[in-house]
Amino acid sequence: MVHITINGRELTVEPGMTVLQAAKQAGIDIPTLCHHPAISDIGACRMCLVEVAKQRALQPACTFPVTEGMEVQTESPKVVAARKFVLQLLFSERNHYCMYCQMSGDCELQALAYRYGLDHWIYDRPFEPMPVDGSRRYFLLDHNRCVLCRRCIRACGEIVANHTLGTRQRGSKTMISADLDAPFGQSTCVSCGTCLEVCPTGALIDRKSAYRGRVSRGDVQLSRNVCVGCAVGCGVVVVHRAGHIVRIESDWDAEPSRGLLCVTGRFEQLDEVRPRLTRPLVRRNGALVETDWDTAMEAAVAGFRKATTSGAMATGRAMNETYGALARAFTLAGTWGKALPVLGYGKPGTLADLEGADAIVVAGADPAETHRVVAYRIRRALDHGARLFLVDGGGEYLQPFATLSVPSAEAAKVVEVVADASSPVVIYGTGLDESALKALKALDGKAVFMGLPEAANARGAEAEGVKSWNGTAAVDALYVLAGDDPAEPQELPQAGFLVVQSAYRSALTDRADVVLPSPAWAERSGHVTNLEGRTCAFEAAFPAPEGVPAEWQPLATLAERLGKA
Amino acid sequence: MGKVLVATDWLAACAGCHMSLLDLDERLVGLLEKIQITSSPITDLKHPPKEGVTVGILTGAVNNTSNEEVARQMRERCQVLIALGDCAVFGGIVTMRNFCSMREALHRAYVECETVVDGKVPASPELSRLLPTALAVNQVVKVDVHLPGCPPSADAIYHVLSELLAGRVPEVKGEYLKYD
Repeated sequence: MVHITINGRELTVEPGMTVLQAAKQAGIDIPTLCHHPAISDIGACRMCLVEVAKQRALQPACTFPVTEGMEVQTESPKVVAARKFVLQLLFSERNHYCMYCQMSGDCELQALAYRYGLDHWIYDRPFEPMPVDGSRRYFLLDHNRCVLCRRCIRACGEIVANHTLGTRQRGSKTMISADLDAPFGQSTCVSCGTCLEVCPTGALIDRKSAYRGRVSRGDVQLSRNVCVGCAVGCGVVVVHRAGHIVRIESDWDAEPSRGLLCVTGRFEQLDEVRPRLTRPLVRRNGALVETDWDTAMEAAVAGFRKATTSGAMATGRAMNETYGALARAFTLAGTWGKALPVLGYGKPGTLADLEGADAIVVAGADPAETHRVVAYRIRRALDHGARLFLVDGGGEYLQPFATLSVPSAEAAKVVEVVADASSPVVIYGTGLDESALKALKALDGKAVFMGLPEAANARGAEAEGVKSWNGTAAVDALYVLAGDDPAEPQELPQAGFLVVQSAYRSALTDRADVVLPSPAWAERSGHVTNLEGRTCAFEAAFPAPEGVPAEWQPLATLAERLGKA
Repeated sequence: MGKVLVATDWLAACAGCHMSLLDLDERLVGLLEKIQITSSPITDLKHPPKEGVTVGILTGAVNNTSNEEVARQMRERCQVLIALGDCAVFGGIVTMRNFCSMREALHRAYVECETVVDGKVPASPELSRLLPTALAVNQVVKVDVHLPGCPPSADAIYHVLSELLAGRVPEVKGEYLKYD
């Protein structure tokens, strides 16, 4: 342990820590701008300068390691003067007028200027116009507001491992650049929005939530939730206002994603435009008419009572509680999407296993299309020295990084090489065929296996007893739990009587005999189980519209009335 | 003791800062027992008296030769000059024109503007001339107190005036320091 004093306070800290880490641990606040806890430190902005005894110049706390007997002052007159000077320099370049910036109030640069009482600027400004890159669908890059902290670059490289962002030019002409100066929207960017998330100013701005409320002023509320875009189950923070999602942010503390999200989780979920259903509908004389819950449930119960055979198909986005109710109400029940082949061997893997992996096999899966965060984690592992092997998988995104890429029939070649690895991870998907399945068995006991199911909550459905009914046989009556799934099921079994539980009106609800409203994703409280088998609890960000019951409620009522509860 | 004389004027401004001054509401009545407003852009008397005032308040950026003259006259005739609002303090929204050429800015405003029919750039010799760039007041004359904000809140204005009346140099920080 190392003994240091900060502002006269004696502290005992771990060797190798930076002054900033030591101060943070002791609850001493040192202002930062280019520092972000999820990425490495580069000491670029000089906001965290501190006075260290026996050091000739002020030192950046974020990169300066602690040493025995070190004496640090974090708010001495010399330090404060230096920070004000740094702020004056930051404001002397580009366009930092707050009154028309949507980040005003939630901007870290502004907060620092307030903290150090910057009531006027002392340097002339060059008023050099900078371009605004609006080539992205979901967010903009306004170079005029950039302070070149390079958080976006580090997030893109270290967290997403996509390495799209960098800089071009030098000195005051430095600009953030995508690839070799491509328009952001035409670059190798994957639209995960991690750069947007970490930007301290309004240089990277979300289009949809612009001017829709500030966090600092309490206009919007923040609720932690779990994304059900796919089976990874990333932690998200839903930013909402008056029962509407304003935007979705990363939850840095949540496993397994720890801040990483993809375009689906952060942006595409908010693209929903279908009309919302809030009242049940029943078919009368060929047309769907609004009715009350009792009448609608009565019609549904009557339909299922009459039927000799009945079944249920559900979205993969439902909660464990809902699947439980579904399994009680229906013997024949399944989720849509192809079932994952069962690898009856190997330890079940977690995303964290990728961290220490030295060989990664992707078989019968294209995680960059279906489970993007897994693809980013694979690339991160590759940056740390792992080798990638593809067996009929990987897609365009991972192909260029593969050490070896073979078709299923030659899976044995991969197995042969990987057998020498010390901690291999096998990631497999629904595209895995018999020959590859057999070959991969050789890695039993050696590798950890992680399946990528098509249904987001496949593990939850499985655990709650929803058998993977593929729904190919016709039934007399069918219950479809569509929930808020943006995708319509590809194929449904033939049925004489159709009940659809859905949050939105769609082609599917239009042909139903009974339509039951369902809450949307963020309006639910319950549990989901991700591909690792991790069960996460979440609370509704805001209540569903009036009259829309909990997702499992109609199914529980149905089970009870059908005498199956 | 007589009342403290205060003069105010606007430069290239939207009048929002003076609206915020009027937002002092009933506090204005109390203030007026201690101060006398000699001139303002919204009264008949526009110019600070030759004899001088104690406090001068300017809003808006220095954008043309007329603004420059008004700013210099105010500086000469007051002891304490307050730059009120983002435009006076930083140049504010007026500096948007600094990012393009003067010709482009004038053309956009008087000719290309969607609501303009048969527009032309005014060129009367009676008009003051634009400066090469819009400036903050402190780039033209010395400013004693800076109160940013777009506009600064009535509370912030009251704080600054009260501190001055109490004989203190006002410190603009905490809830009184806002850039929007």
